[in-house]
Amino acid sequence: MLFFVLKRIAWAILTLLIASWIAFVLVHLSGSTPGGVALGQSATREQVIAYNESVGWYAPWLQQYFAWVGQVLQGNLGVSLIDGRPIGPDIAKRLPVTAALAVLGTLVSAVIGITMGVVAAVRGGAIDRGITAFSGILLSLPAFWVGVLLVYVFAVQLRLLPATGFVPFAVDPQAWARSLVLPVLTIAITSAAGLARQTRASMGEALTQEHMRTLRAVGTPTWRIVYIHALRGASLPILASVAIQFIILFGGSVIIEVLFALPGIGQAMQSAVGSADLPFVQALVLVATLVVVVVNLALEFLNRVLDPKLRAS
Amino acid sequence: MTVDTTSILRIRKPQRRLGGRVLRSPAAMLSLVWLVGLVLASLTSPLWLRYGPLEQDLSAVLQGPSWAHLLGTDELGRDLLSRIVTAAAPTLLIAVITPIVAVLVTVPITLWAARYARAEGFVNRLSEIVLSLPGTVIILAFIAAVGTNMPLVMIAFGLLLFGALYRVFFGQAKSLHQQLYVEAAAVDGVKPMTASMCHVLPNMSTTVIVQFVLLFGAAIGLQAGLAFIGLGPQPPEPTWGGMVQTASKFIFQQPWMMIPTGGVLALTIIAANSLADVLAGGSAMPPSLVSLKRRKTPADAAATAPESGTPSASTGRAQAAASAGDVPADADGALVVQDLVIGVDDGPELVSGVSLRVGRGRVLGLVGESGCGKSVTSYAMLGLLAPGLSVRSGRILWNGTDLVRADEKTLQRVRGHEIAFISQEPTRALDPMFTVGWQLAASVKRLRGVGGREARRIALQLLTDVGIVDPPRVLTSYPHQISGGMAQRVAIALALSGRPKLLIADEPTTALDVTVQAEILGLLRGLIAERDMSIILVTHDLGVVADLCDDVSVMYAGQIVESGAVRDVLVRPEHPYTMALLAADPHAILDFEGTTRLASIPGQVPLPGSWTSGCRFAQRCRFASDECTAAIPLQPRVQGDGGVRCIRRDDVRGRQEEWRRPVAVGGER
Amino acid sequence: MSTVEPVVTSPDAAATPLLEVRNLSIRYGRKGPLAVDDVSFTIGRGETLGLIGESGSGKTTIGRAILGLVPVTSGRIIFEGRDITRLSAADRRTLQGDLRAVFQDPFSSLDPRKPIGDALSAPLRVAGVPRADRTFRVQAALDSVGLAPGSEERYPRQFSGGQRQRVAIARALVTDPRLVVCDEAVSALDLSTQAQVLNLLSDLRAGADLGYLFIAHDMAVVEFLAQRVVVLNRGRVVEQGETREVMRNPQAHYTRVLMAASPVPDPDEQARRRQAWQQLKASASAPVA
Ligand SMILES: Nc1ncnc2c1ncn2[C@@H]1O[C@H](COP(=O)(O)OP(=O)(O)O)[C@@H](O)[C@H]1O
Ligand code: SF4
Ligand SMILES: [Mg+2]
Repeated sequence: MLFFVLKRIAWAILTLLIASWIAFVLVHLSGSTPGGVALGQSATREQVIAYNESVGWYAPWLQQYFAWVGQVLQGNLGVSLIDGRPIGPDIAKRLPVTAALAVLGTLVSAVIGITMGVVAAVRGGAIDRGITAFSGILLSLPAFWVGVLLVYVFAVQLRLLPATGFVPFAVDPQAWARSLVLPVLTIAITSAAGLARQTRASMGEALTQEHMRTLRAVGTPTWRIVYIHALRGASLPILASVAIQFIILFGGSVIIEVLFALPGIGQAMQSAVGSADLPFVQALVLVATLVVVVVNLALEFLNRVLDPKLRAS
Repeated sequence: MTVDTTSILRIRKPQRRLGGRVLRSPAAMLSLVWLVGLVLASLTSPLWLRYGPLEQDLSAVLQGPSWAHLLGTDELGRDLLSRIVTAAAPTLLIAVITPIVAVLVTVPITLWAARYARAEGFVNRLSEIVLSLPGTVIILAFIAAVGTNMPLVMIAFGLLLFGALYRVFFGQAKSLHQQLYVEAAAVDGVKPMTASMCHVLPNMSTTVIVQFVLLFGAAIGLQAGLAFIGLGPQPPEPTWGGMVQTASKFIFQQPWMMIPTGGVLALTIIAANSLADVLAGGSAMPPSLVSLKRRKTPADAAATAPESGTPSASTGRAQAAASAGDVPADADGALVVQDLVIGVDDGPELVSGVSLRVGRGRVLGLVGESGCGKSVTSYAMLGLLAPGLSVRSGRILWNGTDLVRADEKTLQRVRGHEIAFISQEPTRALDPMFTVGWQLAASVKRLRGVGGREARRIALQLLTDVGIVDPPRVLTSYPHQISGGMAQRVAIALALSGRPKLLIADEPTTALDVTVQAEILGLLRGLIAERDMSIILVTHDLGVVADLCDDVSVMYAGQIVESGAVRDVLVRPEHPYTMALLAADPHAILDFEGTTRLASIPGQVPLPGSWTSGCRFAQRCRFASDECTAAIPLQPRVQGDGGVRCIRRDDVRGRQEEWRRPVAVGGER
Repeated sequence: MSTVEPVVTSPDAAATPLLEVRNLSIRYGRKGPLAVDDVSFTIGRGETLGLIGESGSGKTTIGRAILGLVPVTSGRIIFEGRDITRLSAADRRTLQGDLRAVFQDPFSSLDPRKPIGDALSAPLRVAGVPRADRTFRVQAALDSVGLAPGSEERYPRQFSGGQRQRVAIARALVTDPRLVVCDEAVSALDLSTQAQVLNLLSDLRAGADLGYLFIAHDMAVVEFLAQRVVVLNRGRVVEQGETREVMRNPQAHYTRVLMAASPVPDPDEQARRRQAWQQLKASASAPVA
């Protein structure tokens, strides 16, 4: 077990290194240089070169990369080229926003999606066809379009909720919750369908397993067959999709954050890319990879606990 | 090594070519027309559009649909229809790059990894790493590097999809490589990579095409999303995402703009996804193994049963009309099946008028080749028929109740408490997610109404009773940790947990080695003696019948063709099919001196739905004559009790050895 | 296979066995237990050798090793005097179809997407037989197993289990081989179809120079077809000899248990067997299974 843990952690670190190396290379391949971005249009060529020299931009790549890794290990993610503020604290401030969005979005879509999937698999027939067709459509709707439509209905027409903007939890919990309703609803509508399909498929498969007949033959009631045995049998693939959902939301909530003007890391990524804020881009890639890697590790350990075949070995 | 008779339970749809599937599905045709039409319309748009996509008309900004502007105008008075149509071809054609790149990269790597174990480890790791990269963020970083060059972004997206796609492809490629025909190609001397290309890739093609279409949809979505957040092609070039973004800005002034812009995008992705669904063979799910719905009152079921020409059906209906009160008095402790007819709803009949009787403490064998309806008959006795199958008529009498007409509550009282069931695949009959102890204790608790501690004690006792050597260890084991023979013992213990009076065993030893089979048969024999239980033993092995059964019924094509005491049927068979089976069984030959041939029964068991009204064995019977085309009832046998369904039974009796004579060398159809 | 050819070209050839397996050991993975442990046997020209054992006894592994489908850990496999233990895939082609196979599962041993004629002509193509010849030989092979002319254009799904196994046999015989490894070739078949295939195998070898390695778990099936038999238990040979001798007078305890455990469809004879089995079980120091 210990060996397994160490091996997994080693892989996680390797993944982080590779992701940050990719980000590093991309940043260096881009036409921009730190000096060009930081000093703006008005700066002279010499000023730009001098700035670049000062941040070591012309040193060999590997040397630069490891210097950056060294800084990161000391907890220093660098400073933004645009406003000169340190990146670390900025990201730390943004993380809770994205985390709240991802956690709530995953939870709500999991509840809706799993319920839909179970109902489809168990009831079958017209209900199943209806749910499957419906989820097929939901699956295809672009999130930003759904978001805008929701804004139109709930904010513009009904005036129930704020259209955009964010209020931190510490400032006003109720306003915080209201500012998250539409983003989370948008996520739920567009992500629940995938989970519903996965749940339906896994449940359907579990229900065709030979042991279902044995259970019936010893008089097991239907609710036990469905909710204890079939759902348990289907739990591993469902859990994996929920984890993937979470990962996608954490790294990919750019559109939602931009649409609803939420100050999360997705929005930061968009503006950093738009303004070529190179150190910020690099830092964000690292943080996003870290989240994926941690979630994957957690999933793997959970699998070890939940899957008898893995647990035994 | 096992004869899996349950695999036929799932009727296979005839494989249709992909093209056929698409042509036959309105949804798929509609999707295809939409996608192709959109591209064609877009490419030819300069020829027929009334306005150019960049043509501004500041006197008509933010208009709703009108004759002049069918889909309205945007904030600069540009015609939305023109802009949407113009943007279509670039969007779709550039989006195709992603699936092309993803498939071109992933498929060869997958084939390589699936063929060589050494490559597999490496590629698995690689795919895990790719899978752990935060896709969206990397794409954005990529845009930071190369700018909003969409073709390049689509290539990067395709590469990032390697991880996910490899997961989807690898499992299938691996299992295809393990198919015997790939090995057979190796024995033929075909080169490994040639074999992969010829035998593995074509069989993966459906999956590849389906993923291709799905990724196509995803790529369109990504492009639009990027354009929406301002990282797509730059204005004034029209893009779908950019138009939705504009629409969202002017949502207070002109909400209409949302509809055509987002709608076209949504419809296009829906088209791609539904095309993929149809290509994947539809989303139809195999029906669950047991019925989860509340049972229709079976009396209705019998009343609505379609008319059937067989004589048994009419007697069945006559009896169905009678109330359950007139159960024969001698039925106490016995299970009596009368004229049972089972069919697929809106489909063929599977079992035609089967009658059986198992007395208390007796063992009845139900024997026949696969597909004769043995399993279906045994499922019916506990109301375990799969959804889609139902009893059309007939009765199953148990302790004064007709189980065919019993409601679900009555059946639940019988299942496990009075009648128990064990099935063919012991390791698959137990739930892999729970320990043996948990499963046993759960059913003891429910069936005996005892508490947890007592239930665990009883579970331990049951395992001891079925001859398990180390019960405490087995209790804490998961099903995959025990051998097949052990699992069958556990399944028997589970069946005994409600102290049933009758055990229905469907091929309980077929999947086991002969030595283990002998042990299990010994165990069953002991149970009969100690617990005064009766058993219905379903099997295709005549030797097993000889070992354990008192009586036997031989089934062929949904009918009982011969029944009687074991000694009568196996030693003095009166039906040509029974004779043929015995003569075809190498076990029946005790001394091989001089015997060089087994009986060859030409052809195969006819499928349900293709049965004639005459003798169903006639096409294969070497004694068949013209009389055999008439309907043939089960008539009393000459020696002993029981019945025979053969019109020529007096002529053919004792002519078993004739079956060994060759018809023609390898000449059977 | 429709013609009988005289094959013994030199006295030497008659003396060398068709196949010789010497001290064969195989393990799966690097550290796994030995799946096959020091197994030796020979098959003479035109002889049928039965290889019998329960699941996990290593019989399939031996068959696959002979066909070059699993790597051999130690020992030698000699086919017609030539060491084929570690033949490369390319060198295996030089066997020219003398060594062929019929697999257990008639449903997965044929590619569902190819007409069966393709499967039959593939080994001929590899051996460089000209096209016209190939068509002729494929038809002859199909004919010899009793399949109608024109079958070569049909797809596997159009055949029943028994017919597919005939196709598989035709495919093995199309190169006119000296040895066919039949791995559980009849176990997945129903009784009546099994009998058809067994009769067919027996007819095909009559008068031809064709040997079988017939792998099965069922005593009676081996008894029907094989002249000599090798009994395997947990990767080791426990007994081998003339089938008739071994059946009449089994030496190893394991062989006796195996025979007594195999049920016969005659209630009285079966009662005797059962008793014999119970006695063997009682007398055994170590429990079986
Ligand atoms: N759920 C089902 N739907 C349709 N046909 C079925 C179903 N289950 C079994 N059958 C058909 O019923 C026939 C009898 O099957 P079965 O009882 O399993 O035979 P046996 O047990 O004798 O091998 C077969 O032709 C089989 O294909
Ligand atoms: S009725 Fe005719 S065809 Fe049927 S078994 Fe008897 S002799 Fe054969
Ligand atoms: Mg069956």
